[in-house]
Amino acid sequence: MMISRFILAVGLAVVVIFGGTSTYMYLGSKQSKIAAPPQKPTAATPRAQATTLPGALYLTQSGAIYRLSAGRFMQMTPEAGWGEPSINPDGNSLLAVKFGSYWSDVYVLSLFGSPLRQVTSNQSRTGMSNPSLNHWSFYPRMSADEQVWMTYDGLKCDSCYDVSPAVYSMPLRGTIRQARAWTDGGYYSGGDQQPIPVLGGVIYTKYDYGSKYDANAENKLAGMMWWTNRPGAYGKELTSPGEDCRTPSLSPAGNELAMICTYGKQISYLTIASWNGSALGPRKTILTNQLVAQPTWAPDGSGIAYLAPAVPDGPFQLWWLPKAAYTAPPPSPPPTPTPGGPHNGPLPTPPPPPPIPPVKPIQLTTNNGFDATSPMAWLG
Amino acid sequence: MAGAFAYFLPAAKTAWDTTGAIVRVTPSPTDLLTASPSASPSATPAAAITGAFTILLLGSDDDSKFYSDHVLTQSMILVRVVPSTKQVTMLSIPRDMYVHLSTGGFGKIDGAYSYGGPGAAIATVEQDFGVHVDDYIWVGLLGLIRLIDAIGGIDVVTSNPVLDDYYPADVYGNWPYGYERIAVLAGPQHLDGLHAMQYVRSRHGDLQSDLGRSQRQQQVLIAIRQKSKQLAPEDLPPMSAAIGGELKTSIGISKVAQMLPLAASFDNPDAIRQIILASPYTHGGAPGGSLYPNWDAILPLVHQYFP
Repeated sequence: MMISRFILAVGLAVVVIFGGTSTYMYLGSKQSKIAAPPQKPTAATPRAQATTLPGALYLTQSGAIYRLSAGRFMQMTPEAGWGEPSINPDGNSLLAVKFGSYWSDVYVLSLFGSPLRQVTSNQSRTGMSNPSLNHWSFYPRMSADEQVWMTYDGLKCDSCYDVSPAVYSMPLRGTIRQARAWTDGGYYSGGDQQPIPVLGGVIYTKYDYGSKYDANAENKLAGMMWWTNRPGAYGKELTSPGEDCRTPSLSPAGNELAMICTYGKQISYLTIASWNGSALGPRKTILTNQLVAQPTWAPDGSGIAYLAPAVPDGPFQLWWLPKAAYTAPPPSPPPTPTPGGPHNGPLPTPPPPPPIPPVKPIQLTTNNGFDATSPMAWLG
Repeated sequence: MAGAFAYFLPAAKTAWDTTGAIVRVTPSPTDLLTASPSASPSATPAAAITGAFTILLLGSDDDSKFYSDHVLTQSMILVRVVPSTKQVTMLSIPRDMYVHLSTGGFGKIDGAYSYGGPGAAIATVEQDFGVHVDDYIWVGLLGLIRLIDAIGGIDVVTSNPVLDDYYPADVYGNWPYGYERIAVLAGPQHLDGLHAMQYVRSRHGDLQSDLGRSQRQQQVLIAIRQKSKQLAPEDLPPMSAAIGGELKTSIGISKVAQMLPLAASFDNPDAIRQIILASPYTHGGAPGGSLYPNWDAILPLVHQYFP
């Protein structure tokens, strides 16, 4: 009798321990995955092999630059504050930014991520006693004449808190003393960002108070596409403050601009407009159901890559939008002549063309967390 | 049962510690002069969740510069929720607003909490704005960071680059009076807790200073609410462990449970009304760099949306 009670107690204890542990583990497994950290692109599954993009695409995650080529990711730099890559005109090197705690610097990297040259030296020599003596450089681009274009907070007013970077250009092999300010960066505005050198000038995003440019606009900060053709000129507004457009990307042919427009809300529409060298044409809104960031044209003009969450409020993944999604279908062919020669009756009505299925974006990655503030660079 | 008990015990303990906090409204001479503020939130019977209710959200710098619970509320947001119409109204109260404090005298409204805790903050808002506050939620600096990290970050379209050369280095640094440079770049992005905190807290680079960051705070609040819809009950233990003592609220556990499905049912972002008390509702020139309220403009607005 005693033995059987002992066995029963042990059995119950085993059941309780086993059941409790199982329940604990089961409940733990039922946690949502919303806080799961993103996978490294080189380890993420499924890999971006379903659709192979042309050339090599450079993009940033967790302070490292990755290269996507032939459907596989390769890590180009360590996770050490790297980002904002752009392809140099000769196609043999990149510009990129290395972010420190208080400053950031532009570097020339090889196509495989090795630092070849430091372009700026923005760390203050006086230490950290006054943090504002350090500088930021963002969004570097090189033009064919070997000028490095960037956003740089070179102008600072005394005894004020304003940090409004402006668009600068400097010789690749020069020093920051040779840099020229093309814009003034505004006043407590967030500044002029993401310059794109174009034939005869530079396109950039200006952040400023909308009511300065449109009496009907709200008095809050908005992004606008601007263009200027010489240093110190006032520049020209390409989009209105109400559209709140940012992150310009010029098509390979140089006649279209892709950007995102938010209309002052927590949305981000992929928008395309024609570009004639000094003005934008009518806007064509391409995507309205995703939080689109950093649209980037394929060098062969076959489509646009961009970053957007794959699930609501999730980290940003890589997406591909084939050209057919934003170009008009070719006109339908004229009706073929009726066999049998002319006749007097009405021509038969040709059957309607079959409906063209809408071309949808293709999600290329699933578990990554790409930096949506870092532009992507695409080597053809 | 044992496993479930062990799993949820930490969450239950944290919930017990941080919710249902008794709020004692500090009496002050003001009470003798003005209409008496409403009864304290804890004394108010919890309204049925089908009825409208008002919550005061409080955010504080609670680093080592301050004595425990004697902190300023850098962020004060009144939130009115109307379940029947699925309408939410958020009204940001400028922290520099020069008002009659419930603890006596005049001063910046962000000081009310430091003088008398959440009760004084609530009473000040109730008496000056003529509203009834049902509950409050207070969160400290680390609390917001940990909360956002615990839900895996949030997606925000940051309205502009937020660049600040004199951002307080008081969260992780050894010297809470130091400064650091921050740069939160513009555009759609996935923000972790630290960068979301920088985005909502920085004000030096914004011409509208506290008013500008109030707009950013509302953006982040909406993003947190949006992300929270994906939470499962099983997420509560790790979340509560992460937040620790950096969150306090007068909302009882049972009401929190009632609110979760309610929050999930609000799926129209356009139904969230955001109000910032910029000019003409406030204007500068008050003592100590504070803002004079224009009550003739503020009170009709408040009574319209916070009846």
